[in-house]
Amino acid sequence: MREFEFLHPESVTEVLDLLETYGDRVKIIAGGTDLIIELREDEGPENLEFVVNIAHLEELNYIRQDAEKIYIGSGTTHSQLAQSSLIKEKIPALAIAANSVGSPQIRNRGTVGGNILNASPAADTVPVLIALDAQLRFKSTAGERTVPLHDIYIKPYKTNISSQELLVEVAFNKLSRSASSSFIKLGRRNALAISRMNVAVILDQDSDGVITDLRIAPGSTTPVPSRIKIAEEVLLGQKPTPELIKISGEKVSEEMINLSGYRWSTDYKKPVIETLTRRAIQEALEGRG
Amino acid sequence: MYRYIRQTIPKIDLKAKVTGKARYGGDIKLHGMVYGKTVYSKYPHAKILNIDTSKADNFPGVVAVLTMKDVMGNNELFGGFHVLTGDKVRFIGDGIALVLAKDLKTAEKAQKLVEVEYEVLPSVFNIDEALAEDAPIIHDFAPGNIIPDSTHHLIKGDLEKGLAEADFIFERTYQTQFIEHAYIEPEAVVAIADAYEEMVTVYGSIQNPFSVRGAVADALGWSLNQVRIIPSVIGGTFGGKDEIASTLSARAAVAAVKLGRPVKIILSREESILESPKRHPYRFYYKVGVKKDGTITAMKSTVIAQGGGYNNKAQFTNWRAAIHTSGAYRIPNIYTEVFGVFTNTIHGGAMRGFSSPQTIFGQESLMDELAEELGFNPVEFRQINALRPGDTTPTSQPLGPGKIPAPLPEMIKKVAEQTEFVKRKEEFSRINEGPIKHGIGMALAMRGAGLGGEGLDATGANVMIQRDGSVVVRTGLTENGQGLKTAHSQIVAEALGISLERIIYPNVDTMTVPDGGPTVASRGTMIGGRALLKACEEIKQNLFKVAGEMLDCSSVELEIRDEKIFSINNPEQSLDYLKVVDQAVSIGVMLASLQWFSPGVANLDHHTNQGEAFPTYVWGVVVAEVEVDTETGKVEVTKVVSAHDVGTAVNPEAIKGQVYGGIVMAQGMGVLEEVEEEDGILKSKNLDEYLIPTSMDMPEMEVIIVETDDAFGPYGAKSIGEPATEIPAAAIANAITHATGQRIRYLPYNLERVLLGHKLTKKGVRP
Repeated sequence: MREFEFLHPESVTEVLDLLETYGDRVKIIAGGTDLIIELREDEGPENLEFVVNIAHLEELNYIRQDAEKIYIGSGTTHSQLAQSSLIKEKIPALAIAANSVGSPQIRNRGTVGGNILNASPAADTVPVLIALDAQLRFKSTAGERTVPLHDIYIKPYKTNISSQELLVEVAFNKLSRSASSSFIKLGRRNALAISRMNVAVILDQDSDGVITDLRIAPGSTTPVPSRIKIAEEVLLGQKPTPELIKISGEKVSEEMINLSGYRWSTDYKKPVIETLTRRAIQEALEGRG
Repeated sequence: MYRYIRQTIPKIDLKAKVTGKARYGGDIKLHGMVYGKTVYSKYPHAKILNIDTSKADNFPGVVAVLTMKDVMGNNELFGGFHVLTGDKVRFIGDGIALVLAKDLKTAEKAQKLVEVEYEVLPSVFNIDEALAEDAPIIHDFAPGNIIPDSTHHLIKGDLEKGLAEADFIFERTYQTQFIEHAYIEPEAVVAIADAYEEMVTVYGSIQNPFSVRGAVADALGWSLNQVRIIPSVIGGTFGGKDEIASTLSARAAVAAVKLGRPVKIILSREESILESPKRHPYRFYYKVGVKKDGTITAMKSTVIAQGGGYNNKAQFTNWRAAIHTSGAYRIPNIYTEVFGVFTNTIHGGAMRGFSSPQTIFGQESLMDELAEELGFNPVEFRQINALRPGDTTPTSQPLGPGKIPAPLPEMIKKVAEQTEFVKRKEEFSRINEGPIKHGIGMALAMRGAGLGGEGLDATGANVMIQRDGSVVVRTGLTENGQGLKTAHSQIVAEALGISLERIIYPNVDTMTVPDGGPTVASRGTMIGGRALLKACEEIKQNLFKVAGEMLDCSSVELEIRDEKIFSINNPEQSLDYLKVVDQAVSIGVMLASLQWFSPGVANLDHHTNQGEAFPTYVWGVVVAEVEVDTETGKVEVTKVVSAHDVGTAVNPEAIKGQVYGGIVMAQGMGVLEEVEEEDGILKSKNLDEYLIPTSMDMPEMEVIIVETDDAFGPYGAKSIGEPATEIPAAAIANAITHATGQRIRYLPYNLERVLLGHKLTKKGVRP
């Protein structure tokens, strides 16, 4: 276990000062469900000396809405997300994804901000947030900026966010009343499982059943989380048929192989991501998610 | 009519455990205690050129750093294990030095400062590499990497003649994996050297105190009476806390004697998975002859166990495998050969079943394959070949009334009816059109109860009535969570006719009871119970002698029930138990007894293993149902029905508890678990990477307790601990095969194997 000094600031402003002061010698901790494990294995950031706790900061812990958007404080836990009546009503796939993380203990500690910034390819809330085209709001002593979630990932476990910045909020546009969402996770067991693969789908249809909006975001599939536009295009503007849904799934695996090449695990991942995508689209169509 | 036997009694140690008051090895803290951390090998096979401890020695807070040079007695323990390795490392869990410091944190830091210079040697990582002609040799004492004394045969009838009689010959190969026990409590030991007593005491998570005592005495070069082992409350062991408990206790004891201070070694989960034994992988090559009518005429099996870098169990697990590889079937001609090999990997050891979960997977997969090939359903085929009264076992022991009970045909019938096996199987086959396919599978087994011909089986018991009527029970057998103290207390209370509340049953202390062997082989109730009965019998004789004088009648006509001693001829004539105890004390009659029970040396030909391999057998039949997602490979085990012959059910709910746990452990073996290594380096380092079933994965479970008239055990009781977990993995595998129509001959049936038929690794496809 690596040693560090534990800092316990009282406000976001204080956090930002600490981040500025200590630069790459400091790391933010919220739930600690990833960081502590790294440190326990003598891994983690090279120059780490300080860990700044934000888990207790109420100003980072909220779920609220206005007419257009839903706003989630970065310190919101998976349990809170999973139990939120607002999330369950407006975007059930996000509640399902949050509820599929780890175990009750992990969900009580782990936060949405941590899930995003740990940048694990298997993160469960990230595909849903990618599908929602979520925006992230960061603060630093220099000010504030908003970045699309999609733009922060460089490679697995690596983002372009500087150590001076604190993620304070995740926000996304509300979906139309007729839209539906789904999230499917495949783990090796039914609890406390890291996703072998997962996929989120958001879908909207007009009154004739023509698909007017479709977003497909798989996890553990592409080098960085991303919507698979070529898969979405197969169904956009179409009435869904089993054949088109199947092709859409195949486009996801095609994109996976395009981006990552045919690897040792592709024999398994190719047919499975096709299946999961197909099922997620189907579920969204049935409005079950 | 029993008062305590065949009754559900809550476990007597339950309350302390669930309220967190039970004291485990890790809870022990003593004044002046130092903490030990082992420095492990970096390579799976390498010569050690130099060990430089100077930086660790000089680290603030470090008390000493020990290497093999500090081991005052014999550094090499049975099976080739070392207290501390000095010449060369043979797997990555090899302990090279022991850092001792004022606290655990300091020890952990200093552990990284010990510098070891290696010359890396070529390694062998699996059975094929170990047996290759030009394979590097791991131990000088093991040419060809064959583990000495690990070769066993079973030869019955005439194999060639049997094969010649067959209409069909089938050959199949099956293989199992390394499995981690994953007990909830990682290992912890504390050693205290006492200069006045010239003795060392070791507490901790120790399953087999007498074997550990031997290892500690050996390492110190002391005699056995100078070593005292007192197991703490144990948080699960399943066979695992044996050789690891020996090496850790020996290390701690050497350090405690050297420093004159108490020494504690407590393993992290990672260290536990790294250094502790696993369930051996076994490979089975079968050649079997069958007639058109389904009768098996002959079976030849070659069985190879992967031992790892060291091994002190394949010598014994392989004997059991030799007896059981042909299963519970009436095969007249059998030739089985079993042996084990060393590899530069983690090592196999004892794990609940002791080779039987592996042999049953092989044999029961084979039975389903034969049934399918010949056009029988799995139940019919097993009924045709199952052992029954009038047959003899593979070791030629007669079965039938007055001999060894053989309830297998009725058990198959009962379980098949209760699960509607044949109907469900047809129904599933019919409805299996979508991607989620249903399957049902059966597996069965016989199991030799106790140690049998594996080694001499003998154990002692000491029962003492105190002057106030309270009772102390001591044996050499350990409470591992299986409920041994409860079952033993039920036997004592029943035999003495007194209230169970009067009994206190402390943990084993090797100073106070004779060496009663290890708590293994599901022998605790069966063998330990017999010794207890003898002790109770002697005490009762003394009580009755005293009571007879008080009542003025003959002691032979006395009986005790519900703490009343009465004459059978005249029940009115009775005395209170406490009154008789009081009188016995006042006239100087001893109300204590130390007794010994052994079934004796097995009458067995060790070249053919024909003869009395075991005093008796238990039988089990399991049916599993699964749902397989054939588009992802995900398996849900939906239902398991498990029937077991236990002789007499001492404590029905405790038996169910054993079976529930056994089923889930087997589910892990069947679909989830494998300790993975890559070139000898552990990949499954902790329980986030080594996945065992959670409560969300458990199937619906149903236990059928079968009682048979078996004269051998106490009140007719036999075994359940290992039978509970040996069969379900095979039944689950057969159910999955039914669902998918694709036979996989390797465990576990994980996502990739179920979908693709083989396993994927970075180094390529593996079967």
